[in-house]
Amino acid sequence: MERIIARFVAALRESGIRVSPGECLDAVQALALGGMEGRRLSRQLLRLTLVKNFNDIPRFNEVFNRFFSRRQQVDPDLELSSLIDAPLINMEGEFNYLDQLPTDDHDEPGPLLRLDSDINPEELQELKSLTEIDPDDSDGQEIVVQMKGFRGKAKAPRPTRRYTQNPLTIELNKSNSVQRDITFSPEEQAAMQDVVSRMMLRLRKDMRRMKNDQSRGKLHVIKTIQKNYRHDMVPFQVALRRKRREKPRLVVLCDVSFSVSHASRFMLLLLHTLHNQMLDVRSFIFNREVEEITELLANMPVNDLMETIDKGDIVDLDENSSFGKVFLGFKKRYLENLRGRPAFIILGDGRNNYDEANDWVLDEIREKARYMLWLTPEERESWSRGDCLMETYGSYCDKVEVVKTVEELSLVVEELLRDIYADQAHPLDRKRLREAKAAAAAQADNYQDYYTRGAGSVSQPTFEPSGRSHW
Amino acid sequence: MITQQGVKDFLQSGGYIADDAIATAVFLALRMEKPILIEGPPGVGKTGLAKALSTALDFPLVRLQCYEGIDEGKALYDWEYGKQLLYTQLLRTQLDGYLSVSADLREAVERLASEESLFFSKNFLVQRPILRSFLSEKRSLLLIDEIDRSDDEFEALLLECLSDFQVSIPELGVIQATRKPLTILTSNGTRMISDALRRRCLYLYIGYPELEREVAIVRVKFPDLCQVLAQQMVVFLRKARELNLRKPPSVSETLDWAQVLTILQATELTREVVVNTVGVIAKHQTDMQKVTELAQQELG
Repeated sequence: MERIIARFVAALRESGIRVSPGECLDAVQALALGGMEGRRLSRQLLRLTLVKNFNDIPRFNEVFNRFFSRRQQVDPDLELSSLIDAPLINMEGEFNYLDQLPTDDHDEPGPLLRLDSDINPEELQELKSLTEIDPDDSDGQEIVVQMKGFRGKAKAPRPTRRYTQNPLTIELNKSNSVQRDITFSPEEQAAMQDVVSRMMLRLRKDMRRMKNDQSRGKLHVIKTIQKNYRHDMVPFQVALRRKRREKPRLVVLCDVSFSVSHASRFMLLLLHTLHNQMLDVRSFIFNREVEEITELLANMPVNDLMETIDKGDIVDLDENSSFGKVFLGFKKRYLENLRGRPAFIILGDGRNNYDEANDWVLDEIREKARYMLWLTPEERESWSRGDCLMETYGSYCDKVEVVKTVEELSLVVEELLRDIYADQAHPLDRKRLREAKAAAAAQADNYQDYYTRGAGSVSQPTFEPSGRSHW
Repeated sequence: MITQQGVKDFLQSGGYIADDAIATAVFLALRMEKPILIEGPPGVGKTGLAKALSTALDFPLVRLQCYEGIDEGKALYDWEYGKQLLYTQLLRTQLDGYLSVSADLREAVERLASEESLFFSKNFLVQRPILRSFLSEKRSLLLIDEIDRSDDEFEALLLECLSDFQVSIPELGVIQATRKPLTILTSNGTRMISDALRRRCLYLYIGYPELEREVAIVRVKFPDLCQVLAQQMVVFLRKARELNLRKPPSVSETLDWAQVLTILQATELTREVVVNTVGVIAKHQTDMQKVTELAQQELG
């Protein structure tokens, strides 16, 4: 039994569910305790111990169905059984009942179940050719070793997916990469670094002043007594309650569709540079679907990430963007688990492609948000032209800014951060901050345009006849 | 020897209708002595399960409500500073006599140091919910409610307690649980719980119940309500849940509504009844409109 569970866990891991060895042990123990009287019970026991996240449950069901029904689908076809690991096929008798296909209504079937059984003999032939090794290939020996290693580790090969996916994605890459260059040149990155560090410097100066005055508050009686133990309770040292000061929280929704790709590109770079500097940022990108990329931004080199996004691996870029759909999806999936009262930044042109507007969702987001800011690359005149819903959406926001250069972008973000800090600040600080802001505003006129400093041909402001983008 | 069916039965005796997944989770938690982490939308009976278990198993319920800023002083233990101070003041003369025996200062300090543990003993320890449930004579049920409201630091603090059922107090050492409590953590998913905590728990997701189970729940709580009406209202509420409401009605709303209908002595679900009692199901103005429209559609 342990062996099967271990293989099942390996299959789960391969499909992207994180399972620790401890949980694997738990699963074995649970099965031993719970008995193995039926497919449903075993599925429940495994799910309780192995899956710790609601979003992983559908994937678990999928893997479970695929894993414990393989034998039936594979047996009639000897070709395939010779391709995948032999030991898997010879499941121990005690697990035979799991191989029965789901019969009761409560069983949740996984979508891949049917896919797997659809393999036809021709495809299998092609599959087989994958394992044959060309004797002329000098790397041959190495490949054999690698494949052996792979087979040993990944106990649940997925023939259909492996077969169909790779050629397809490769083709897409080819057609995409020629058209546009989405990654950043070193100069661009350095320039952004420069912009951000200047911004941080300005911000930090104010923040430091504020932090010094932070420990104003009521007397903390217990801490004062503790501190003055040694002075026989004469309160020489006074302990004050510290006000809890949260990191400013920021949620960014960034449109990555083609029409605003130049703007979003720099927004992402700005986010990447800002990340973990002083902020708690959650970043999302959308086109027709919305996906969170916070983790990716923190862990991936920015150029790799841009390529991944551009390939459409995270959100499908071939579709028309739909703000209404995105807002609805965002509400369903993420709005509930936003902490604190974050400030929202939405970057997009508000072009909905005549889809449903769903602007009522913005009302709900507003309730959760401290501040809502919409950044659009389009001038005000075109806000209600064509499919642009900027006027509608804009009415829900605290502010709509037209942002065309990186400088402008960083200034807007800086101002927002300042506002957030000021919100939590002491009245005295607020006055100070207002003055600082006025000084910054006076200075802002002198800023050079980012692009005129030779950031490369891509970022030259262009004018499209459609009036869509002024980048 | 407990079985899943047994769990189901005794939960029913506590007034809680469980489905297979819930029963299996409780069964495993009892046998493996592992905490259960329950997630799900508000009002589907996460806390209710803990309460029902506590009455059914006769485990005393120790409840820890989490909030932003909760710390070990509120959850695990605290020192009673006031009492400590009082004792040192009262015992001052005693201490003088005790220390005057010693020949020199060094000896006096050593003498005092040997008694140091007196002031950091269990006498001066205030037990907070987690420690209290660990040290309870009878096996207890520890309910850590709405863990998602607490901070990350507090979550980290819980790790030791939940995996080893022990509390480390620097002055006293490690205190082991006398009886490992049956532990239930609930979360509304307002933020992601860390993987480290998830790993230590069994994970149970309670969603909205199926039709039959929801009717059964209504019937158990309100036996006076007739079967037909119970069926009707549950069917109606299930439709309302698909309306994309801001606050979809959950089981607690079903029960509230059932109570209202019992009080009103309604015998059939008509449009008027729904319109008059819509405030029980929908908790926002826009939701109320949508529900009223649904009533118009469904009930004419």
